Parts: sequence; structure tokens; C-alpha cells
Amino acid sequence: MKLERSQIPFHELQERLNQALSKTSEKRVGLLTSITGGELATLILSPKDGTAELMLTPIENNKFPSFSTRHAQFHWFERALFDFFGIVPEGHPRFKHLLLHEQYAQDFFPLRKIDLPADFKNHLARRYEYLEVKGEGVYELPVGPIHAGVIEPGHFRFSCFGETIVNLEIRLGWVHRGVEKRLTEVPWQKAHFVAEAAASDTALANAFAHAIAIESILDLEITERAQYLRTIALEIERLAVHIIDVGGIGTDIGLLGISSAMGRLRGKALGLADLLSGSRFLRGFIFPGGVRPVSERKLSEIKAEVIALRKDLTPVIQILSDNQMATERMKDIGKLSNSLAHEFGVVGIIGKACGIDCDTRQQFKQGKYPELAPPATIVSGGDILARTAVRIGEIWSSIETIAKLVDTCPHGEEKVAVPEKLPANATGLGIVEATRGELIHLIFTDEDGKISRYAIKDPSFDNWTAISIAIRDNLIADFPLCNKSMALSYSGNDL
Amino acid sequence: MLRLITYLLQQGVATAKNICPDLAEGVRGLPMLTDAPCQSGCSACVDVCPTDAISVFKIEDNNHVRLDLGACIGCGYCVDVCPTGTIKNNPTTRVAVRTREELILTTSSTKTEDSTKTEDSTKTEDRTKAGADTKTGADAQVEAANKEIMAQLRQGRQGAKFPVADSLKDAHWFGRSVAARVVSTGCSACDMELGAAGNPIFDIERFGVHIVASPRFADALIITGPVSKGMKEALVSCYGAMSSPRVVVALGTCAISGGVHKGGYAEANGVENILPVNVYIPGCPPHPWSIIHGMLLAMGKEHLAPAPAPAKLKLAAATTTQTQEKRLKIETQNKDEKLS
Repeated sequence: MKLERSQIPFHELQERLNQALSKTSEKRVGLLTSITGGELATLILSPKDGTAELMLTPIENNKFPSFSTRHAQFHWFERALFDFFGIVPEGHPRFKHLLLHEQYAQDFFPLRKIDLPADFKNHLARRYEYLEVKGEGVYELPVGPIHAGVIEPGHFRFSCFGETIVNLEIRLGWVHRGVEKRLTEVPWQKAHFVAEAAASDTALANAFAHAIAIESILDLEITERAQYLRTIALEIERLAVHIIDVGGIGTDIGLLGISSAMGRLRGKALGLADLLSGSRFLRGFIFPGGVRPVSERKLSEIKAEVIALRKDLTPVIQILSDNQMATERMKDIGKLSNSLAHEFGVVGIIGKACGIDCDTRQQFKQGKYPELAPPATIVSGGDILARTAVRIGEIWSSIETIAKLVDTCPHGEEKVAVPEKLPANATGLGIVEATRGELIHLIFTDEDGKISRYAIKDPSFDNWTAISIAIRDNLIADFPLCNKSMALSYSGNDL
Repeated sequence: MLRLITYLLQQGVATAKNICPDLAEGVRGLPMLTDAPCQSGCSACVDVCPTDAISVFKIEDNNHVRLDLGACIGCGYCVDVCPTGTIKNNPTTRVAVRTREELILTTSSTKTEDSTKTEDSTKTEDRTKAGADTKTGADAQVEAANKEIMAQLRQGRQGAKFPVADSLKDAHWFGRSVAARVVSTGCSACDMELGAAGNPIFDIERFGVHIVASPRFADALIITGPVSKGMKEALVSCYGAMSSPRVVVALGTCAISGGVHKGGYAEANGVENILPVNVYIPGCPPHPWSIIHGMLLAMGKEHLAPAPAPAKLKLAAATTTQTQEKRLKIETQNKDEKLS
């Protein structure tokens, strides 16, 4: 949606945040960032009426009193603000670098556009210090950045007492590739390729959010058929990732039959993607203005395949849910309470498994949603079992939705003509319910109509802290399963 | 548990018998260059390419296309816009190569001239006169232009800390099995395709490839992603922990050239600036079959995935198994001879 940039002073921002984040509020905070380094840009979402507000707040002397002390949700946003803009959140309880590591120069702030104040002194060393848990018998277990399996890199520092995890500190940023900056460097017509590369198991959702944001800046209406096809593609991506993640739960419990069966069935879900877009990861399918052409024959094939896939999935998922060993392994492990999930602004699968209604398909305009959105799968419990239940629920609802949308997909053109130039000083917002949860793309253009700042908030950015909280006081041996049940993105977080 | 076993038995064997088949119709692979002459003055493909993988240059008024598959992300836009069919979709999954140079395709000057002759008959006389000379002249120019590109590529490699020491001559060590360590530094698409290559359909393990959890017992280092600043140190120490002989496999366009991330402040420009690479698997991400093809190349067993006959796929499948059988026979014969 198109946003107005409203300027508000700092004390008013504080008030607005307190209101939005109070327990009774129906609003929530989308993201906190900056455009040039001279202001804070805060996005407050109103899920109830599907709107959003963007507030710009000038800051003085390159610093502001940290919000994290009162609202825990901001603790990573504020660390990222310093990493990329050099803005200091004063009084931040755990102030250190987030994504940029020792390899970068001391005063290197890649997204900052204005000069640093003359008297600016950077007191924060690049060297990263982990939180140290002291006491007799407490030891540290470092894991990563390179993991044992085939998975993205990240470092986990466990402080353990016996077999029990006392604290887990997660350090990410190993795959920081400078995606946000790159998105402002390439011609905007080609930016959707870079947006897709932010995190490839979310490639389609990223391209989708990018397209919504660009089209809202251009005031461009796309065709009804394109809206349907985009929504179908979004559900195919969700289906493929959920299938492999449920299979991954099988691997980590030791039910290898489940994981091999799910691996094979994921191939079928990717086959749906191949049919729709010619790419197993739906790459290049969505772009501003529409989608690639899809023939009616392919659509009917997709319908047939998705029904067949439901038939194939039923026995495997039934076997997993009926298996008492599996159920007991997942129950009450890696538990996150509803109140902590609220406090840290947890979204997506993890939020839904804590009983939070955070399915943006019901709330914000994206393709044929919210009109044709399937009912959200909300489960209480907050443990691994609840998260797996959400995934399984979404597998069925995605299949239903794909079948329904293919049936009703109208005929017509897939794309509309797109203007050459973006309007000046415009702001566009795209919110999409990616597989992992709420994905936000926020685009600012400058006075020449060029993209001056491109902010992406992957759902994993909100959710990584949830792992640290959920695994506390659990056994080390529970970590892999707990991690798998959340299945967060490293690259989407690091960008 | 009994239900699970019964279910698995009912499913039978899912593994594909036809190794590295071509992609189904409508599925995008990497682009390829054809004999069709490029239209003079056209640069549609260059304009749409998101990674500057395509360049057009002129030799004697003829447009030539150079395509770097190592930078290509397979978006297929060039195929869509090409008016002459010079760039086409390549359905093959056997895309892995051993040298970076092999990934750079250029429209051949000879072929272009031949086809121009038929199209442009008024100039035929001149051309036949000049005949052989022009051809060799144009060829030399294409070659010179190519050399320049290669030199640029090599220049990028100078920063590599390790000399190109472990050559693929050692590949025969891994002919039976190769233990591979995977270092992921990218967006995870290549990791997921590598994971898919291990599923029951593709079953990479049947070729003797298995993924191990430590560089200490790895023969091959598979790298996905563009290796930005954050991962450089970890990657180099992982390589250093491996014993020789070892091979390095650059999996995916990002690992080969940096892909869409190339040239940014995070220095995500691919593996080549850091480690010597033995096998390149282009694609964004490469198909699981392409990954298997690359690993077969690393093991010196690429004969297991021969090119299928162009027209009839079913026939190709039959011949594949036949040649395999023949090879097996020859191999066993050799063995017997050695034993005796």
C-alpha cells in the first residue's frame, strides 16, 4: 500500500509506540529503521483494518534513548540501526553489533547517507563479546558458523549446566551480502531478481512483496488473473517448505521413513511450481506489473496434481500424528509462552503456535487475500508439537486454497504495462504472509524517482530471539528438534 | 512403526533410473547460443539481463553474443526477448564443467558468416572472394576478445590464498566414493537442491557421494553462495582442515561469480577469489541432476551421465543403460585382467 510520510517529534513517537504496544492495543510494530541516518522510520500496522502508518522522527546528535528497555521487540532493530546507520540507541541493555562482523572497518555504516557529526565517537568495538554465564560447573558449547548438515551458517553459543541449557546466544550475519544496498543500486526494473535472492525458500514471497510495494508507488492496478496466479504461487511455495519442514521433524525424531517420504512429496510440490512458472523455486514468476503467462492446460494439471498430492500426503502425516513416540518427543519441549511471544513481537508459525492471531493473509491486501484467505491455523501450547500442528494445518489449507483458486481463476491478460519511471518522494509498502510469517518490503524513492532506501523485514528477524527463549532450561539434545520446528531463515535475516 | 514400514514397502522404489535426463518442456534451464545469426544493432538480451552475463560485440558488421553461464541466473528473459532465436533455452541438466572458461559461450564467427551468406545474397560474391581469410580473421578477433575476458577473470583470482595445487588429475582417487563437506554462504536455494539430490528420487548416494559433518574426513568441499566477507575466514579454515587430495566444487551461480550480489560492499564475489575451484556447477539454483552431474565430474565418472539422444528420450534411456552395461563389462574385464 502507498504510505504518507508523516513527521512527528520524538516524544510523540514514544507515546505512539507505548500505545501501539500496550497489551490491549490492536496495533503492532512492523519495523524500525532509518532512511538516511538522520531520522527514525517507524512502521505501525493496524491488522484489524489492514492499514499501516509510517512515522519519520528526526534525531539529534545521532542518538536516541533506546526503546528496548521498555519494549523488548526492538532489541535487534536498534542493533541493526547502529550497524547500518551508526545511530546509537542509548541505554540499550545489550548493545553490540548485530550483522556486520570484525572484517568491516570500525566506522563503516553502509546505508548511511549523511555525514557523521564531527564530534561522533564510536565507542563500540567491532570485536564481538558473548554474554558469559559464570558459576561453578557452567560451561560453553560453541556451534557453527558452519553446521554439520547442509544448512546456512550461524553461530550458537550455549552456556550449559550439565545437560541443561542455561543461556543461548545466537550470532548471525555470516551471510550478510548487502542485499538492501544492492536493491538501491540496480535499475528498479531489475530489482525483483535481487529481492528474490534475499532468501530463496522465500523467493516468491519476496518477489510478491516487492511487486506490491512497487505497484503501490506507481498506483498500478494489475489484472485479476495475475492476482489469482500470484496467490496460487504463494501457496505452492508455502506447501513445499512446510512439507520438507515436517519431514525434517521426522529426521530429528529418528523417523527416517517420514523424512524420506516427505522429501519425495516435496518434489511433487516443486513440480507444481515447475508447472506454474518453469522454475522449482518460482523464480522470476512475479514482477511489478504482473506474472509470467500460464496456460489453462497447466492450471488444470496443477489442479489434478495438487489433489493427488493431498492423497499422497494423508497417510504419511497420519502416521506421524498417530505415532505416540513422536508426539511425546515434541510435547512440552521448546516452549514459548504467549506473553513472551507478544513481548518480543513474534510472528508467523511460532506466533500462531503460541495462540497469537498473526496471519497477515487475513489482515493485509496481498493478491486475492484477505477476501479469499483460508482460516488461520491458530494453536495454543507454544511447544514443538504446536508448531508442527500449525504447519500440518497450513499444508491442508494451502492445498484447499490452491484447488479453489485454480477453479475460479479468471481468463485474461497476465500483465499490464509498467511506466518507465517511479514517482519522486513516494513510499511503498508490501506485506506478504511468507511461509515463516509476516514479510515486509518498504521502499522509499528520492526526488529523482530512484529507490533511495529499500528495507526488508524477514519474519525470521522477529523470531530468532524466540529460539533463545524457548530452548532455555531444555536439554542440549532438544535443541536440533526445537531449531527445526522453528526452521528460521539465516539469509533472510542477514540479507 | 509397523504402519510406517508397511507404507514404505507399498511405495516401492522411487529412484529415477534415467540419469541426468533433459528438463521437461516448459521448464527453464540455462540459456544456450544457437547457430541462428544475431540481429545487427539489437541488444535486447543485454538490456534485460539482471547480472550483465551477456555482452554483444561487433566483428565486421556482424553482431556476436557472448554469454557467461557463470554469471547467469537462468531468469530466461534473454530467451523471451531474442528476436532471432540466437539465445535459446537449454533443457540439458548436464551443465557442470571443470574450467571457468568452459562456461563462457560465444557465437561462433564461422557459423554466423555462413548463415549470413544465405540470408544476405547480395554480398555473397565479396565474401566468397575473401573466403578463408575473413573467416580466420574474424575467428582470431573472437579469440582475442575471449582471451581478454579470460584475463580479466584470472586477474580476479589473483587474490586467492591457495595456489591451484590440487588438480583434478587426482580425481581418480574419488572414483568409487567421495565424502563431501558443504559450506553454505548464500540464500539456501542451492543447499535445498543439494538436499533434494539426496532424496529417494535422485539419490546422490548411489553414486558414492555422501555428505559428511567434518572437513577432517572430507575429500570434496562443496561451496554454495557468494562467500561474502563474513564467511571468508570460516571457509578458508574449513579448506585448510581438509587433507590432500581434495577437490573444490563451486555450486551455483553465486559461488561461481557472485551472481546478483557481485561487486557490493560485502565482497560477495564468489569462491574463485579465495580458493582454487575444480568443478563449476552453474544455475540459480542448479537442478539436482546438475548437482549430481557436477559430483560425477569431480569423481571422474561423468560417463555415467551421457548425453541423451536429442529427439527420443525413451530411446536415449535404453542406450544409456546399454552403454552403462558395456562399460561395466569392460571395467570388470580390466579388473579380471589385472587380477590374473
